[in-house]
Amino acid sequence: MAFSDIPRSVIGVEYDVFTYPAVTAAELIEYARSLGVTDPIYLDEAAAKNGPFGGLVAFPTYVVKLRGGKHMPQVVVREMSTGGFDAGKDIEFHAPIRPGDVITARSRVVDLYEKTGRSGSMWFVVYRQELVNQRGELLANVDSRMMQRGRSAPGAGGDRAEGER
Amino acid sequence: MSRVDFDSIEIGDELPPSRVDLAKEFVTRHARVLDMAFPRFTDDAGARAEGLPGQITPGNLSLALLANALLAWIPGARLLRLGTTFRGLAPAGIAVSIHGTVTEKADDARTIECDVWMENAEGDRLVIGTATVALP
Repeated sequence: MAFSDIPRSVIGVEYDVFTYPAVTAAELIEYARSLGVTDPIYLDEAAAKNGPFGGLVAFPTYVVKLRGGKHMPQVVVREMSTGGFDAGKDIEFHAPIRPGDVITARSRVVDLYEKTGRSGSMWFVVYRQELVNQRGELLANVDSRMMQRGRSAPGAGGDRAEGER
Repeated sequence: MSRVDFDSIEIGDELPPSRVDLAKEFVTRHARVLDMAFPRFTDDAGARAEGLPGQITPGNLSLALLANALLAWIPGARLLRLGTTFRGLAPAGIAVSIHGTVTEKADDARTIECDVWMENAEGDRLVIGTATVALP
């Protein structure tokens, strides 16, 4: 089976629903602190009460930590599990995440495509985690682009000039 | 770092460049916080076993550093969208700088569009992106 054999029918189909334990203030603060964030709305519960959100909220990119329970559908994993890299992310931020939120990540593939560059073909899969809280409020849509060198490409797996992680 | 507000900001304004030291301990600690303590992000030997030259920085850390630079620049701002492309390896143990430019300004919505990027000492843009930011 090749990348081009992955059925397009996987696009749009929800393949994972994962609900996390309630978010704690401590983990939100730990995340912000690990980045060197200085704004107290992400670090200090007391100070954040006077801030624009009326309380502590997650630093926005905390959402990348919520990757769901299953990385990708099995039919995609079979072709993309040999050294793929994260080529980038597109994130829409909606309601802020607050301590006590119970977040559910719903995952689906939103695109599959192939590109040909100087070093050969590259395969991409774009999958989306839609994050909602216990009140049904949309928190974020996180689109991740995973890239892998085509196996028949010259130098496959050795040149990482155009996409990483 | 100078601070700005919606009225003072103009298309073409530049985010004050900020330097970030991607120290190995810093990258490892953040990878653990992200639940991404994979060998490529936590130690040189583990990364080399995966065919990499050494420990690298997770893209999820790089994009967060872009967001942090934007929000630190504009007090009270809210990030609405961030799109990033990871163009090159960001090895742990190097210093990088974060840059940005305002490319659009919407008076009605009180939002701005920015190009943002992270570059190494040689000026190579390792991560590029665009962001939409709402200002108070």
